Amino acid sequence: MAQIGSLRAFAVSLCGDRERADDLVQETLCKAWKHLDSFKEGTNLKAWLFTILRNTFFSERRKRKREVEDADGNLAARLSSLPEQHGHMDMKDFQEALSKLPDDQREALILVGAAGFSYEEAAEISGCAVGTIKSRVNRARNRLAESLELGEEDEAPSAMTKTA
Amino acid sequence: MTVDTTKRVERHDGPDAAESPPGEGMSPDLQAHIGRQVRAMFDEVAEEPIPDHLLRLLQDLDRGGEK
Repeated sequence: MAQIGSLRAFAVSLCGDRERADDLVQETLCKAWKHLDSFKEGTNLKAWLFTILRNTFFSERRKRKREVEDADGNLAARLSSLPEQHGHMDMKDFQEALSKLPDDQREALILVGAAGFSYEEAAEISGCAVGTIKSRVNRARNRLAESLELGEEDEAPSAMTKTA
Repeated sequence: MTVDTTKRVERHDGPDAAESPPGEGMSPDLQAHIGRQVRAMFDEVAEEPIPDHLLRLLQDLDRGGEK
C-alpha cells in the first residue's frame, strides 16, 4: 500500500498528467495481480511495480507517437498546469525544466534522485546498463542546471560574511 | 519514426561511463539543490491521499486475487 503513493508520483513525473497517471497506476496494479506468479518472492516488490508501470507508459507512448506528434511542449504545458500548492516560483520553473528533459533522463533522475532506488535497481527497472543510468542522471542534472540558469555564481554570496 | 535523443554517443557498458562520478563538473551545492527539488516534487504527489477508485481496486484485487 505504501508503494501506491510512490507509484503515483512516478507516473505523474513520467506523463505529467494526474488523470493519466492514475490510469497508469490502475493498469499497473491489474497487470501486477494478473502476473503475480511471475513475481519472485523475496525480491523487490517496489522495483517490480515500477518496472511494470514504466513499460506500460513507454509502450503506450510509442503507440501514441505514431498517431500524434507529441511535441515536448505538450508535456511542458501539462506539467506546468499542475495545481500549485506551495506557490514556489522556484518549483514551477523546476517542473517546467524537468518536463523538458528527454524521457530517459527524466526517468533516471526520478528513480535515483527521488524514488530511492540505487543505480543498479534503476538500471534493472529501465532495462539498461548501470553506466547508462549514471550518465543519464548526470546529463539530466547538467541540463536542469543549465536551463535553470543556476551557475556557479550562486555560491558567491557566502564570501561576503566577513562582518558577521 | 523515432526521434534520436542520443546523438551524443551513449556508452552502454563503457567503463568510462561507470567511472564518471555523479554530477561531474557540478558544484555540490547545485547538485544538492537539484536533488532537493526533485524530491520535493516527487514527495508532494507521493504523500497525497490515494484516490478512492484506486483504493477500491486494491480491495477488489485483494478479494478476487486469492489463490
